Amino acid sequence: MIQESQHLRSDQVSAYIDGELSSNEAQDLRQHLATCHSCALRIVSAMQLKAATTRVSERVVVPPEALSRLTAQLRPEAPKRPARVYPIRSWAWGALAASLIVVVSLIGWRETRQSNSLSAELLDQHLAVLSSGSSPEVVSSDRHTVKPWFQGKLPFSFNLPNALPAGTTLDGGDLTFVHGRPAALLLFTIGKHRASVFLTQRSANESAPVSLETQSGFTIHYAYTHDLRMIAVSDVNPADLDLLMTALVEAQSPR
Amino acid sequence: MPASNGSARFEQLVLPLLPSLYSHAFWLSRSHEEAEDVVQETISKALRAFDSFQSGTNFKAWIFRILRNTFLTSRTAIAASRTVFLEDQVDLLDVSDPSPTPEDHLLRLDNHAALTEALESLHPQLREVLLLCEVEELKYKEIAMVLDIPIGTVMSRISRARRTLHEQLRQQVGGSL
Ligand SMILES: [Zn+2]
Repeated sequence: MIQESQHLRSDQVSAYIDGELSSNEAQDLRQHLATCHSCALRIVSAMQLKAATTRVSERVVVPPEALSRLTAQLRPEAPKRPARVYPIRSWAWGALAASLIVVVSLIGWRETRQSNSLSAELLDQHLAVLSSGSSPEVVSSDRHTVKPWFQGKLPFSFNLPNALPAGTTLDGGDLTFVHGRPAALLLFTIGKHRASVFLTQRSANESAPVSLETQSGFTIHYAYTHDLRMIAVSDVNPADLDLLMTALVEAQSPR
Repeated sequence: MPASNGSARFEQLVLPLLPSLYSHAFWLSRSHEEAEDVVQETISKALRAFDSFQSGTNFKAWIFRILRNTFLTSRTAIAASRTVFLEDQVDLLDVSDPSPTPEDHLLRLDNHAALTEALESLHPQLREVLLLCEVEELKYKEIAMVLDIPIGTVMSRISRARRTLHEQLRQQVGGSL
């Protein structure tokens, strides 16, 4: 049981990101996160650290001769053959959580505050992406690479525009959580500015309140399609961000 | 169960784990030669003990435990006496700083060398538990089985490992943010 006034212990943070808490414990923890920005950031930071250490800790590859000897020991009757086995980590959803940049949103209970605190949290994440310097999970400017990478990893699908506005390039993508919901994070460069676009499923009763906000010099641009909610965060001028969002929205409509 | 069926099933289970077993043995022994010896001996022991393996339990955890015990009785392990135990108290007092600034959470994780160095400098016991969790993707329950320690100890070791890394990587950031 986590008291409102009590911050998470490090072992709870660790157990949470490893998927080791019971559903009740996880529920309590998420309740605390909903009101505690500081602990939410600790979760994000712990996940980034886990993703990074996992990436660095590559397995040592078995030398081919050793592998044939070991395989031969295992099946004395089988003919020896050249080794070929290289470790490929299975990126199951649970394991995948490790490589996510996670956004735990800090939606307050009051609906009026909802979009504001969501914006603040997404802005934090945009800044975290910029300052960490780590590359996204899928690094590509090719929509034919980026789009399939998300398939099967998210409970929804989306399209990427055939052509982006002039001066805008796609840098890559990552998985993330926004308000506890799985989200796609697309990273763009517009001129000299970076933009993060978060895509989530639009919930049934969700209204489409604001379309544009500014916070600390950043524009937060909301756009909605029938099924999707897209939120862009960038310090580029709002008109250029609008061009990108328009292209993204148009890409979703069937033609 | 006829012996041939048993060994066929054994082979099926072990074959995909060879890269993991070897890699972990290499990490423990820091030598290709010994890693191969340890895996070889592990396979023999595991095959002999296969009857005692209960299906439904995790085979990977089971054989990793054999691997680890095989290593611990090897010359290198004894010579290096890397079996010193840390105090494993669950630190209940470890409520983190109640008002950390957002900058405290931003680590520079793109520096491969710094990250590797931080990992290398971890106490072997902490490094091992992290490897089992993050690279071998074992659940805490399974790690507890491999290391023959209570699950609470697994949890506190993993947490301690990450806190140590966090501290080290944060220090390296200095005031550059
Ligand atoms: Zn807190």
